[in-house]
Amino acid sequence: MKKYRLILLTIFATAILVACKKDFLDTKPTNAVPEDQVFSTADNVETVINGTWSYMFEEFFTYAVPGYKSIHLTSDAMGNDVAITSKYGLRDAYTFTEMVDPTKNRVGAFWTILYKVIDNCNNIIAKVDNATGDANKKAYLKGQAYALRANCYLTLASFYQFGVSVNPGAKAVPIYTEPSGPATQGKPRATITQVYQQVIDDLLKAEPLLQNYQRNATQKWRIDLNVVEGLLARAYLYSGQYSLAPAKAVAARNGYPLMSGDDYNKGFNDISNAEWIWGHAQTPNQSNASYNFNFLDVSSPVSYYYSFMADPYFKSHFDNSDVRTRLFDWDTLPSQEGFLRYKKFRFRDPGAMVGDLVLMRSAEMYLVEAEAYARSSNTGKAITALNTLRVARNAAPYAGGGNLVDTIMLERRKELWGEGFSLSDIIRTGGTVVRKAFLSYQNTDSLISVPRADGTFKVVKARGHRTLKFPDKSAFQPNSPYYLFAIPVTEQQNNPNLNN
Amino acid sequence: MLQRLLILLLLLGPLAVFAQTRTVTGSIHSAKDKEPLPGASIVIKGTTKGAVSGPDGNFKLEVTDPAATTLVIRFIGMQPQEVPISTTPVNIVLQSAGKDIDEIVIVAYGTAKKNSYTGSVAQIKGDELVNRQVSNVSKALQGLAAGVQSASSSGQPGSEATIRIRGVGSINASADPLYVVDGVPYGGTISSINPYDIESVSVLKDAASSALYGSRGANGVIIITTKKGKKQGNNIDVRVSQGFSKRAVKDYETVNIDQYFQMYWQALRNADQSGDPTIAAQQASGNLVNELGINPYGNAYPEPVGVDGKLKAGARALWNDNWDKAMQRTGHRTEADLSISGATEKTRYFISGGYLDDQGIYLGSGFKRYNVRSNVDIDAKKWLKIGLNLSGTHSDQDAPPSEDSRSDNYVNYGRLMPDFYPIYQRDPNTGAYVLDAKGNKIFDYGDYRASAGNPNTNLVQTSGIDKHNVLQDDISARVYGEATIWRGLKFKSSYNADYAARQTHDYTNPTLGFDAEVGGTVDRANYRTFSWTFNNILTYEQIFNEKHHLNLLAGQEAYKYTTTFIDGQRSGFSLPGLDELSAASLIKDLQGYTDTYSLSSYLGRAEYDYDGKYFLSGSLRTDGSSRFAPDRRWGTFWSVGGSWKATQEAFLKDVSWLNLLTLRASYGGQGNDNLGTSAYYNYLPLFDVNSNLGAGGTFRRKIYNPQLKWETNLNLNVGVDFGLFANRLGGSVEFFERKSKDLLFSLPKAPSTGYSALDANIGALKNTGVEVTLRGVPVKTKDFSWVVDLNMTHYTNKVTELPQKEIISGTKKLMVGKSIYDFYIRQWAGVDKETGAPLWYTSNASGVKGTTSNYSLASQYYSGSALPDVYGGFTNTFNYKGFSFSFLVVYSIGGKVLDQDYTLLMSSGNAGGRAWSAEMLNAWTPENKNTDVPKLTTINNSWTSTSTRFLYDASYARLKSINLSYNLPKSLLDKAHLNNVLVYLQGENVFTLYNHKGMDPEQTVGGTTYFRYPAVQSISAGINLSF
Repeated sequence: MKKYRLILLTIFATAILVACKKDFLDTKPTNAVPEDQVFSTADNVETVINGTWSYMFEEFFTYAVPGYKSIHLTSDAMGNDVAITSKYGLRDAYTFTEMVDPTKNRVGAFWTILYKVIDNCNNIIAKVDNATGDANKKAYLKGQAYALRANCYLTLASFYQFGVSVNPGAKAVPIYTEPSGPATQGKPRATITQVYQQVIDDLLKAEPLLQNYQRNATQKWRIDLNVVEGLLARAYLYSGQYSLAPAKAVAARNGYPLMSGDDYNKGFNDISNAEWIWGHAQTPNQSNASYNFNFLDVSSPVSYYYSFMADPYFKSHFDNSDVRTRLFDWDTLPSQEGFLRYKKFRFRDPGAMVGDLVLMRSAEMYLVEAEAYARSSNTGKAITALNTLRVARNAAPYAGGGNLVDTIMLERRKELWGEGFSLSDIIRTGGTVVRKAFLSYQNTDSLISVPRADGTFKVVKARGHRTLKFPDKSAFQPNSPYYLFAIPVTEQQNNPNLNN
Repeated sequence: MLQRLLILLLLLGPLAVFAQTRTVTGSIHSAKDKEPLPGASIVIKGTTKGAVSGPDGNFKLEVTDPAATTLVIRFIGMQPQEVPISTTPVNIVLQSAGKDIDEIVIVAYGTAKKNSYTGSVAQIKGDELVNRQVSNVSKALQGLAAGVQSASSSGQPGSEATIRIRGVGSINASADPLYVVDGVPYGGTISSINPYDIESVSVLKDAASSALYGSRGANGVIIITTKKGKKQGNNIDVRVSQGFSKRAVKDYETVNIDQYFQMYWQALRNADQSGDPTIAAQQASGNLVNELGINPYGNAYPEPVGVDGKLKAGARALWNDNWDKAMQRTGHRTEADLSISGATEKTRYFISGGYLDDQGIYLGSGFKRYNVRSNVDIDAKKWLKIGLNLSGTHSDQDAPPSEDSRSDNYVNYGRLMPDFYPIYQRDPNTGAYVLDAKGNKIFDYGDYRASAGNPNTNLVQTSGIDKHNVLQDDISARVYGEATIWRGLKFKSSYNADYAARQTHDYTNPTLGFDAEVGGTVDRANYRTFSWTFNNILTYEQIFNEKHHLNLLAGQEAYKYTTTFIDGQRSGFSLPGLDELSAASLIKDLQGYTDTYSLSSYLGRAEYDYDGKYFLSGSLRTDGSSRFAPDRRWGTFWSVGGSWKATQEAFLKDVSWLNLLTLRASYGGQGNDNLGTSAYYNYLPLFDVNSNLGAGGTFRRKIYNPQLKWETNLNLNVGVDFGLFANRLGGSVEFFERKSKDLLFSLPKAPSTGYSALDANIGALKNTGVEVTLRGVPVKTKDFSWVVDLNMTHYTNKVTELPQKEIISGTKKLMVGKSIYDFYIRQWAGVDKETGAPLWYTSNASGVKGTTSNYSLASQYYSGSALPDVYGGFTNTFNYKGFSFSFLVVYSIGGKVLDQDYTLLMSSGNAGGRAWSAEMLNAWTPENKNTDVPKLTTINNSWTSTSTRFLYDASYARLKSINLSYNLPKSLLDKAHLNNVLVYLQGENVFTLYNHKGMDPEQTVGGTTYFRYPAVQSISAGINLSF
């Protein structure tokens, strides 16, 4: 009896000991790591740069919002030269009903992407100094975090308030520079001037930190000095500090010569393009960001939505010799007849549905330089910069006539179509959206003849813009609230300080 | 062991008169149903010495006093009986005391007698479950027990129902009940349990019954007990049924082709930007066919709708193809079960095998299940019992996308495809089928379709080629040993493991349909979950002075759950006909991780009753959860309960019409740590691991909260049980109040902080309700009986405490005094009579209410609740000789549902190529100004955005099941050496009464829809044989 009780007691005691084993209740994830481990060494901190970047570009919100690059598509969808089709994706941004509405998914998504990236950058900036490891590497990481944060605030400044010239004291968006914790409260909106100042401060801090940084040429997503200078050029230009922009634009494009005419026709999908200063590469197993090509790419059979059709009037802005005109082509698909394709963007590898995404290239820097000079009345240098690009595109050089600034702004539309500058240019310059129905001079349908697959031709109605007014039926006008991105309803509801 | 003890006594005490130690064995059964009576007391008359019968009704008692001659056997609700002490086994049959119909119910870590139990338990017998043609036991609980709200939101064969017991006590943490199988929390898949193997299902609703499951019982507990061998000898039961199924309710009504073309013409005309009505009309006529991509009227009518908006004279659609019908079929259901059960002197066994083939009503869907079970209990020694329940299940489910906004959602695909897109290729001029060289029809993939018409796809064909398969293997083991240490003191140790391996295989073919351009895709995911529970329980049961009955329990339990996930995706098949990963060329994704969750617990319970009249119970349990920080992970949960069986009192004993009256009350607290299936470590400041272009990456996705702790549910239950008029009318009425505090809540934060929510313990919530269960026998004659069972539940839900004035999250706003089920959405103000624009209400800062046609300017208002006023079930059973007829009606009255499925059919015209609901015919026109449908236009006017426009009354009543059976007469069976033959006819979801046509009324408890597989109606016939 005793023995038997002893056995039972032993079982019982063992059982309790098993359960009480100190670490029995300490479970750990296998796909996440604790913060202290992340910020312990410089090498580990680097993973935060990588991971934050990956989140920024690869996170799907809906299929219509495949990451950060979607902001650029939205910007062009709300401009003059893209006649977005009624297919899934950007159709409601195009009609100015989406971005003005704080309840829309896209509105919430952009805000979420930008501020989550900002907080991750804030974590790096606050914590990298205490990590062990190479001091140079820590400097690079901090510089990259400053620059990435600056890019987010620059994006916010570009879409959430009118240009500084309209009202420099206008409230834009909140600024956070410290990492958020469980108790962090929402901050009030800073003025548009303060937001631009934050961008410039961050970039000026990044500049010396990245002075000696050399990135691998295949890793154009990494922020180096050229990228920082390019962002500074943008920030100075957008905030009206025209005298400071040209030098930065020149520094940014240093080492990135303009691409050839043939390269311009290769589909804007390859990070190795000589002119790309900053871009995000895609591979078959990292391809969420490539989903943007389903909207941009209007010619590859694999593409889903064919949203980005050109406004037929857009074609008339080009000279016939211009290499960029080769991309125009009337659509021949049975359901797409009448649309004018501008085949600038094509999947690099249609089978894998991947294509790299461009973020900054030399052409833009020439245009920044030209615009900044033109706006500060330095006409000669402005024309030189503009014509350098025009010549590279085999277009007729500017020889005076017309308004130079307008010419440069139009050149931006031609050169940077689909790269995300349409709406932000309209906002910062106090411009207006211009869209006309593509009708014949008699106000009837314009008829065009398109080839069929069997070689015959078919006469169809050409299709241009389908929305020519704001949703309230008023005409497009400068500084319209319809241009600005709304602050999402979740922010309005959960940030009591927002408008303080 | 006792034998050894005897030998010892023999050696050491030669003078001992061992002949005086007598061993009495026997079994105790109830006279009424011949069922064994566990827990009956056997006491030597005039002493306090005695024993208690085991679960099988058997007992053993050592009688050392040579003078003892008589045993007194007592069981609550039965007449006590005295038997002489004898060494030959006695078979004691107890007669009912005539006062009540008592029932043994399974409760936490043991059993109880329903009519004296201090807690609140509903028990459903296995017989009631097998009357139902459901593949998942969770679906069979609907309408059978008060307080149990079941939403069978999906008709996909094998899918699970959502169960809510006494409301929702949690906002963000899980509100699912705990499933316990054969005494231990179950970590496997509910669909792997064969309803045929189930002896009973107990639903524990209050603190007294479920607090012993402390940490996990906050949302109630569902205890599934599988069958055991009972009767001596071998019993073989065979059950086979065959049936057919189709959709239970008709889908939304849609417009026909002629109507569609004229309506879309209006939408185009109304969206005109030129400002000139003549041009607008001309362009609408001209663009109509181009926009929709097809002209079903043939080349004779190149512009089928004229500038007057009317179909041209003589134009007739050349085809009319119903895709919804084409995506469906009549499902076929086969079920077969075989079991062998029995008992010998020392063993009891139940062995079964089952087969189910439940074909879905949508193409490419179905569920097959193969399962075996072996439940064995062995009396290994006089003092030791061991048992092993082992079950294995393999299931093969075809579950194409539904409950998903994907364009290849099989339910939506047919619903949303208009009739003018042909299923098979047609000659555009004659409408005749285009045939291939072999004379077969050719599927039409519609590259010409408008984008809302899913161009380049044809699910009617590819559903037969693509795969959406789920293979699931479940193995579940329950092994225990129970030793009697000393008289009523027992020690039970059990180890229980549930293993589930789920493998999904999603394949789209490389040549046709959605993924043809990328050469097809394959996605293989593997989910392995393994959980074990190890518990050690000491119990002590004793009766003192014949009247004091004490039952004590103390123990320890450890639980660990591990889940591992691996997912690989590839695309680009080299050749058609291959569908595995290796056959595709391009690796798209490969990921995997493991999550672990553990709990450590200590528990105790005391139960006492005096003379079968007064009952008291108390329990205490402490749990440590790995989901919380070390200093906050332990939570203590408790309960107290009492009941008074008034009919045992002398003053009521002689009231002839009153058979039973019990009053009971309980109070206690239970915990909830379940923040969700992927939220195991929310207290840790974590960075998610990802990667960027081959380099390792991390980033912070969520904000952490080291302060997280247990959510506590405090439950009060007060009830009365009664039986009247020889138990022709009985039932119970219960009142409950369920308060949750420290709610685990995803507190919304300003997203500009980088994080949209913080998991935190905030606020308090209260569910208050009444449950009524009635059972009446209106007619009872020798040959005929009619039994009515009715249950109804009413409850309200209220937020009682919040850290801030209001929390808005989506369509809900939390405020003190409001319910979490209240819709907080924009209010529809009708259609502007002059312009045809949609209108919503808006309130300015001073609260003045106006209207706006701009959705984003509309204000949100409380707009009614998803919570029904009353829900329940109603069963009628008629027996006449060998015939039995029964039907169950489930009902839910009141409450609202937000039908967002319907909105897809209600576009103002901005989704050309998608079907339109018939209600859209009523769209605003200058001639039709009094309408609830705005003007048609291809420009999105947001009118289908969430608003009260699409909030519908959710009331319904459904003839859930109907069953007609016939027991063949004994006289026939004896010749065939059969014990019993039963033939039956069953129907499921036979008839539905509801208001909002098109939507299946069974949606979620929260009143929302999400493109779900609708409920299925099925009719089966079957036969049961017993040898």
